Order: sequence, then C-alpha cells, then structure tokens
Amino acid sequence: MRPFRSIALLVAAVPALAFAQGAAPAQPPAAPGPDATAPASPSPAEPPERQRTERAAPAVPQSSPEAAPARPSAPATPDEDDTGSTPSSQSTEAQAPAATAPADAPVLDSGEAPRTTDAQQQRLVNGAPLYNPNVNVHIVQKKRFADEGKHELVLYPAVVQVNGKFTNHAGTALHYVYHLQENFALQVGGQYNWYSDESDFNLELIDKVREQAQAASSLLLQWGAHAGVEVTPLYGKFAFFNNSLAQFSVVLSGGAGIGKTRHLIRPEVANEVEGQTYQVPARFGDTGNKFLGEVGGGFRVQFGESYAIRLEVRDLIYTARVDKVDGCNLADFEALEAARAANQPFDGLNLSGSCKVAKFDGVDPKTKKNYREDIILGRDLVAEPSSDVLNNVSFYAGFSVLF
Amino acid sequence: MKARTLRVFAALSLSLTALGAAAQEDGVLDTAVVRNRLYKPAGHPELSLSVGLPVQTHLTAHYFFDVGLAYNLFDTFALEARAGYAASRHTGLARSISESFLDREDKRVTDELEDMWRMGLHGVVGARWAPIYGKISLVADIPVHFQTYLWAGGGLTNLKRQSVIQCTQVVDRAAGVCDNRTDVTDRGSATENYWVKESRVAPVVSAALGFRFFIKEQHGIRLELRDWIFKDSYRVNLLRDDWEAGKATGEPAGSPGLTHLVQFDLGYTFSF
Repeated sequence: MRPFRSIALLVAAVPALAFAQGAAPAQPPAAPGPDATAPASPSPAEPPERQRTERAAPAVPQSSPEAAPARPSAPATPDEDDTGSTPSSQSTEAQAPAATAPADAPVLDSGEAPRTTDAQQQRLVNGAPLYNPNVNVHIVQKKRFADEGKHELVLYPAVVQVNGKFTNHAGTALHYVYHLQENFALQVGGQYNWYSDESDFNLELIDKVREQAQAASSLLLQWGAHAGVEVTPLYGKFAFFNNSLAQFSVVLSGGAGIGKTRHLIRPEVANEVEGQTYQVPARFGDTGNKFLGEVGGGFRVQFGESYAIRLEVRDLIYTARVDKVDGCNLADFEALEAARAANQPFDGLNLSGSCKVAKFDGVDPKTKKNYREDIILGRDLVAEPSSDVLNNVSFYAGFSVLF
Repeated sequence: MKARTLRVFAALSLSLTALGAAAQEDGVLDTAVVRNRLYKPAGHPELSLSVGLPVQTHLTAHYFFDVGLAYNLFDTFALEARAGYAASRHTGLARSISESFLDREDKRVTDELEDMWRMGLHGVVGARWAPIYGKISLVADIPVHFQTYLWAGGGLTNLKRQSVIQCTQVVDRAAGVCDNRTDVTDRGSATENYWVKESRVAPVVSAALGFRFFIKEQHGIRLELRDWIFKDSYRVNLLRDDWEAGKATGEPAGSPGLTHLVQFDLGYTFSF
C-alpha cells in the first residue's frame, strides 16, 4: 500500500513539475513591468533557427486548477506581443474586479480554465471578452498610466534650431496640454528665443564672397505663441539594458499662432572715438509680427504617474516678407538718408506713421555710436523687398508634470 | 501517516525547486523586464543596405549608398563594417556664388570657403550598441519590436573639392562662365570647367543614432541619423591675380576645423 501511494504521488507530481517549467517564465523574480504572461523560452535542444524567434505556446497547467496562481478573472495576455493598449481597455479595466490581479498572472488554457457565463465577464471590449481568461486574442496590454482628463505642463529648457543655414536660434518653451481623451489633447504654448542671430555660415559668405542671404531668408524669430492639438497614435514600451521599463508614446502636434520677428541690421562692431575703442553690440531691427504655423512630432517617455520626458522636433513655419524695418519702409529710409547726407534734422520729414525715426537718430551715450550710420543698412534690407516661407525646425528637450 | 505526507510534500517541493533551478541555468527563465525578446540577434551575422539623404545642405549635398556587414556578438552589441559611395554635388547656392564672384573684382584677396570637400568612396568599421529594446503598437493590434542603438566607428574616405572662388581661366566674367560651354546660357553644354580642383584620402569618423524595426525573423528596417566627420582643409589669403593666372596661391588655413555631413539613413537589414 505504501509503494502504491508513493507512485501515485510521483505520478501526480509530473504535471506539477511540468507546470513549474511552463509557468516559471511567466513570473520572473522582481519583474516590475506591466507585462503579462510571457511564453516559455525555447529549450537549448531546439535548433538555432527556432531558438532565435521562438514564440512558444502559453503555459498550460495540466494539473488541477488550484495549482495555477492566477485568479480566474485576471486579464490574460498570452501572446508575448503584449504591447501598448487601447484607451478603452484602460478605462474599462479600472472598473473590473480583475484590475487588482497581478499583471504577471499566468495564462489559463481554454481547455482547463473555468468557463464563465457571467454577463460582466462576457462583456466585449474591442470585440472580445477582455475579462474572460480564456480569451487569448488580446495582444495589447493595459496602459499603465491614463492620460484622459489630465493636465500636463511641459517645460522645454532647451530648444535648439537644427536646420539653421542662415540663422541660429536657441530658446526656452513652455506648453500646457489638456488631454481631452486618451489619444487627443489640446495644447497652448509659448517660446522665447533668448538667442537668435545670423549663422556663422552667413557671416562667412559676407566676409569671403560679399554675398548674404536675402532679408526674408534670414529673418529671426524672437518669440512665438500658438495653440493647437496633439495626438498620440502610437504607444509602446522599452527596456534599457533589460533592467528598467519605460512607457512611451509617439506624439504628433499641430497648431497656429503668432510670432515676433526681427532682422540683423548691423553685427557687433568696434567703434573708435577720440582714440578710445567701444564695442558696439549687434543691432536688430523689428520686422513685425508674423503668422505662425506649427507641426511636430516626438516621444513622450513617462516615469510614474506624474512625470514625463519629452523629446520632440517641431517646425515653426512663418511667412517672411521684409518691406519694413522698425516700421520704416523704403521711402522713409530714402528720406532719412537724404537728410543724413545733408546733415539735417529729421523733425520735418514726411515719414510714414509707423516709422520709429528715433531709432535712427542720435548717439548712443555708452558706445558713442551714431545711429544715423545705420540708416543705409536698414535701407539695404528693404531696397529689394523679399519674401520667403521659413521653416524653423528645432529640437525640443523637456520634461512635464501631469496632474 | 502525517510524517509520510510531509516527506512526500517535501520531496515534491524539492523537485520543484530543483527543476526551477535547472530551468534558470538553461536560460528558460528570463529576468528581463520586457520579457522574452521576440528577436535575439546575438550570434547572427547580418547584411544591410542603406540610402542616406542630406538633412541639411549648405554648399554641397550628398546621397549615400552603403552596404554593411555586421556580426552580433550579443543581443545589444555588434560590430559592423560599412562601405559605399556618396554621390555628391554643389548646391544651387554654391553655383550662384561661383557665378557672381567671378565679377566681384573689388574683392582681390579672400579665403576659400569652408566645408567644400565632397565624399566619394568610403569604408568604416564600427560598433553598434543597442541598449534599448522595445515594442510599439501600430494601429492597435500590430506590435512592432525595435531596438534603439548608437553607432560609432571610423575608416577612410576619398574626398574631392572643387573651388567656387578660384577660376583659372575666366571665359565670361559678367555671365559668370568658367567652363567651355558652347552656349553662354546653357551650362549643360560644357564638357570641362576651369575651377581649381583637389582630391585626397582622409580619415573619417562616423556616429549614428538609429532605430531598427524587426520584421518577422530575418528582416529589419533601419532609420538612422548619421554624422560623417572629417577634417576640413582649405587655403586662405588667396590673390585674385594669381589664381586667375593659373598660379597656386595662398596658404593652408591654420585651424580649418571639422566638416560634418549629417544624413538621414533609411536601410534594410537581412539577418542570417
């Protein structure tokens, strides 16, 4: 009788051992990620070609159901391609009792798992009863952090132009995003370029071959403000060196707004007066506000529920037509230049109302630079009115807080 | 009876533990956070083809056609040899400068422009480090597996340079003609030009940030942002009278800096 019991126990142990092999990969130690069941890895005895991309069958408990450490209502994701999620699955899952089940719950095979006829458990989500553990058609997984209804404040400390041929820009941007839905948000934002100047390439052309970009092509953007929408069509996750998991989404944005532009009138020069040399900083002329379009795309990597890092490329598109500098048109500059040549005051000149004549008159007390000398440079900018559509493509690196 | 049962359960527990350990030794258990990489390139060679387009053009534009052979030492690390040819041209801006500068006789002394060397044949050897493996969901139900990698390496390249400043035989100064065209208005009719030309072979360094998207078992698509870097070289203090007389003029620039050719590469990878 005793040998019989031992043999019976050993026989009973075989499926348990088989389960141990099969279920073990589904619950690796210290696996904080949201991944659900992963299939077993190929055995070393298998051919190499098979090992490379083996997609083994889900673990199948052969013994009694109580051997499986999963709750019957736990969401099962038997396929290893358990990437991302749909918003609907996220929102509905939160209401289900199964939401408290461990994410690493193993798979129950349809042949062995308990069958349910409960209406709630048979409820269809994306065309399949998500809460039924027998269902193994879901290849996406629940999204760890829901965006819907959240506010997001994004600070981009570094915004650097990456396509600067004739211009260089660097600045800081601040955006506010309201996530209307999981994949759709409204955004408003502003950007201030604390550095905007002509590029070294443009200065090289001026210095070596006496050529320079047309005024419209080298227009500088001082600041911009826009409003628009943002969509997140793709969602995924990645592991860095297999150690830490991060959720990310691809964000695409578009919007419109307004931007203030300026143009370099005179680069930094040295001014010699009565044997003393003064460094005169570069002078820029106001070229007015322009309509601004914005399109962009990038990645948002989320850390925890409230923080994210954003890496994006955005194109600020603005029409550039330079026919006025500091409000003065060509006729104004011609009149100013004539008065300057005759050494006459500017008071009685018939200038357009927008012309800021004071900017081209007088002497800077600090640098002793006579502003009248800049009239000819301003006139050159508008002598041949130029127009262009500029693409200011910049790399945005920032972080955001969700609340 | 109770003791016997305990012994049996103890034996069963030990068996389970032992098998679990064996499974771990065999690599059955995967401790990765993103578990069970669907694609494990370790130990496999791969062949890749890529086309590179310029991200930004100033005076030159390059179009790269490369073939690469790589061996994946680990899932995250590979060695790769790349070779290919870069078709290149002067941009419209460079042509415009060359034509207008012929007639700018007030500028008698000048320097050559920077970053005018154009790559041709090239070959590099480098290392690819892919610490990031991830999955992304395309149109909800199609998961795409990818790696993000950094690439760095070096090699040699053939370089050529054609000046847009030094014309040794001015044909028509006002029209900016420095070639043997038969029709002044038809640049294409020229078979030879008289701009100063140079060529050399130089070391080149390449670095890239890229994504590799796996497609089934053996195929992959690669998207890269790649920078080709080599030392620039040009002459300064050129005298117009000398170069227009066909004489060598000026001296090499003291610190010419580095030329960067930033490309967007689109590639296909076949893994053996």
